[in-house]
Amino acid sequence: MKVSLFIPCTVDIMMPEIGVAAHTLLSNLGMQTIYHKEQTCCGQPLFNAGCRDEAKRVAKHFIEVFGEDECIVSPAGSCVCMVKYHYPELLEDEPSWHKRACGLAGRIHELSQYIVDVLKVTDVGAKYTGKVAYHESCHVLRGLNISDQPKKLIAGVEGAQFVEFDNSTACCGFGGEFAIGYPEISEAMVRDKAANFIKSGADVLLLCEPGCLLNISGYLHRNHPQKTARHLASFLADNLKKV
Amino acid sequence: MPVREEILERLNSATKSQNVDRPAKPTLSEITLNREQMIQRFESELSGRTGVLYQAGDKEDALRILLDIITAEGLKSFVASSEKIHGVDIASLGSKNGLSVTIPKDLADRDSLRDAAFAADAGITSADFAVAETGTLGLIFNHNHPRLLSIAPPLHIAIMSVKDLYPVYENVMEIVFKDTKKIPSQFSFITGPSATSDIQGIEFKGMHGPKKVFVIMIMQE
Amino acid sequence: MHSHVNKFIETAREELKNEPSQMFLLMVSLGAPILRQIGMSSFPDIAAAESYSRAIRADVIARLPELLEEFEKNAKARGAKVLWAQNAAEANNIILDIANRGDVSYVMKGKSMITEEIGLNDHLIKNGVEVFETDLGEVITQNLNLHPFHLVGPAINVPPEKISEVFLKKGLIKKASTDPVELGGGARKYLRDKFRNLQMGIVGVNMAVAETGTIINVENEGNIRLIKSSPKTLVAIMSLEKVVPTIKDAIYMTRMLTRNCTGQKITSYVSMDTGPKKPDEQDGPKELFIIILDNGRSEIYRDFKTREILKCIRCGACLNTCPVYTKIGGYPYGATYCGPVGQVLTPMLAGIESTADLYRACTLCGMCKQICPAGIDHPSLLLSYRARQIAIKNQKGKKTMQSRGENAMAGLISLGMSHGWLWNFGLKITRPLMNSLAKDGYIGNIPMGAQGWFGCRDLRAIPSKTFHETWNDLPSLPEPSGNASKKEDS
Repeated sequence: MKVSLFIPCTVDIMMPEIGVAAHTLLSNLGMQTIYHKEQTCCGQPLFNAGCRDEAKRVAKHFIEVFGEDECIVSPAGSCVCMVKYHYPELLEDEPSWHKRACGLAGRIHELSQYIVDVLKVTDVGAKYTGKVAYHESCHVLRGLNISDQPKKLIAGVEGAQFVEFDNSTACCGFGGEFAIGYPEISEAMVRDKAANFIKSGADVLLLCEPGCLLNISGYLHRNHPQKTARHLASFLADNLKKV
Repeated sequence: MPVREEILERLNSATKSQNVDRPAKPTLSEITLNREQMIQRFESELSGRTGVLYQAGDKEDALRILLDIITAEGLKSFVASSEKIHGVDIASLGSKNGLSVTIPKDLADRDSLRDAAFAADAGITSADFAVAETGTLGLIFNHNHPRLLSIAPPLHIAIMSVKDLYPVYENVMEIVFKDTKKIPSQFSFITGPSATSDIQGIEFKGMHGPKKVFVIMIMQE
Repeated sequence: MHSHVNKFIETAREELKNEPSQMFLLMVSLGAPILRQIGMSSFPDIAAAESYSRAIRADVIARLPELLEEFEKNAKARGAKVLWAQNAAEANNIILDIANRGDVSYVMKGKSMITEEIGLNDHLIKNGVEVFETDLGEVITQNLNLHPFHLVGPAINVPPEKISEVFLKKGLIKKASTDPVELGGGARKYLRDKFRNLQMGIVGVNMAVAETGTIINVENEGNIRLIKSSPKTLVAIMSLEKVVPTIKDAIYMTRMLTRNCTGQKITSYVSMDTGPKKPDEQDGPKELFIIILDNGRSEIYRDFKTREILKCIRCGACLNTCPVYTKIGGYPYGATYCGPVGQVLTPMLAGIESTADLYRACTLCGMCKQICPAGIDHPSLLLSYRARQIAIKNQKGKKTMQSRGENAMAGLISLGMSHGWLWNFGLKITRPLMNSLAKDGYIGNIPMGAQGWFGCRDLRAIPSKTFHETWNDLPSLPEPSGNASKKEDS
């Protein structure tokens, strides 16, 4: 079975290992991964900034690149949201593009949701001894209604102990341009997130959103360098049992 | 064009929203309460708001309870909605117990009523309905029952019949608002005493309305 | 409408450092969800309860003009005088006029955000009519001249010492106190005689029932009931979206309002007035004026996208769950309405161009949308305002965001995002530039732009290869069964 990888801009540039991890996990599960080299970004940063004309241009490029794929998988919830929910809105006034956008919406999946709900797998063959906490990113949880799936994948990790932490569903304060435009408020939010994670005693904080990861891990590196946050895909891929 | 017409025209000329059918109205858990449970629920909700419920066997029992409250609270002067409330002889408080009872019917004008209501230690009124859901009283205000009696004095004593106790607000609204021509000029739901948490989120009772609420429920129908 | 949104960032910074504010906001953020959960627990199916209230508000929006006319007809049939006002000035003058005709020297007011929005108090005072706020929170903000900190508890954060100071000065208390009971008691005593002698009262309207012409007010303190009982003249002012179809809808919405607002199952008082008093009644208003106010709402309605803002029932649940509001409190929003409701409403009332921080200081986390009992999609509205702002700037030739530089950036970025080769090329140039600033694999600061990131965070250095560049080197991984799976370019 073929799966087309959508590797978001943040992953492509800043954290390519997440993309590699996604490829590894899917390949291990017997999927044939396709990667369209023409892909760049879903356009979310432009859209969120209000630059709809520019975002439209990017959306059309995305649709051209991915338009024929039966199944697209991405390790970023907010990007999947952008494609699913905002592309049709963005292209409302251009009927043929709108139609293609609507079609695409049904064929794009967030990685953990794809593995658990479509491939029906919760044990990817990983092992980790330690305590693990999970941050529920806004677009993953409230945008896509994905919560059980990452937790099931974590539960499927041999030896890993899932630890709850306070306000795990609260926003981490990234919000794209927000973190740069309103730094003090953003800091107050990420500080709380980090404090709650640390208080839980978990060894590592997992999440499914590259933006949140940049924010939280950047904050941890500056302020609590002994603590780490990781993308769920990277964590699983790096902890796969050697066959 | 007059303002009204301008505003309505702007609204009417807007693109119409599609109206969708409403989903089923969700049920409330209180709807299945039987009388016993309603009384229990009413009491626990009311006392949670520091209100006090007394169950009186009959109207004589109710009068005794009323006198007990008056003694315990040291009350001397009252405004009462009428001389007999659900059969309870309020007038006797004045004639037999030497307390000062003012009945609005006996007052000449609004200002006298205001003076009396603001000066009284307590307002004694009927309650036309009660709602178990939240320990709430429902009062119809009309020429037999002025509004100020249950809001101006620092204490409110309400006398009601158990037959007027209902599970949820809708039961009461159905009755009060049934005939559009008979809707009272004011109908109020009253739940416990007046309260506020506006300073530091610290709650206290008796901001502008009564500090204490007593409900005497007559069980005999 | 008066707004000081231009001070948003500055005020937010102050509030983040203000300990009493932070203490309250923590209390609100921790306590409110619990209280709401308890309040909503009567509904065996909370999601169904929310769907129903959202459907009621959607119905109101779909039939707004029709419902307003029905309300007016039924209110008038019961003797209420229904007046329409286009804007703040008209409404203020109508009310002043009523006060002058009645020759009143003072009025008393229930808590009403619409009256704050239109600046009623200032207008009356300027024209010789004294105004006494009666809701304790409003008494405090009136005397201290503060904007509301919270939709429902406007002065909840104010330290008792400050209240004591001003109450002492204004004669509400005889000796200093930090006890809320004593302070409240002082306000009660101070206002008592004024209630008793009141000739004209002003209240807002929580709900106007089309079916019966009834106006409904919810409150805990009793000041509104006193205002609706004592004086001969009552003015009730409502913005036009406050209408609900039926009395059953109204009581349903009342439940949702109180439970989403403070978690209370119901407020101490819910008073429902249908027309003025009847001739033989001894108290209650002889004259009831109901003012239906537009003040920008009909324009909001005509805009199909923004129309849903009018669903709001002013419960404040959005504030309590907003991660930004619960860090900065109400002051930065600089207007009558704060939190997410302020973010969606104020730009439409005060103008998109002067309220940028309101729709940009948001992570689009969706908590407000999730909890809203009226069904408003705040994030979608805020995104649309951002787009409108850019479109306005483009139209004016001012071009996107802050500067021509940023506009060029946006254009360049979108160009790069539309062409794979350009993307990769652009990266090859930027990467070494960024990484020249890295130390031990992390960037701690950059000299150009995006300073906000680095205040409290590092950024890992850009890896030497993008995923694009790595793809070709990725091995085909064998499946557990031993068959090599393939990876494919295209």
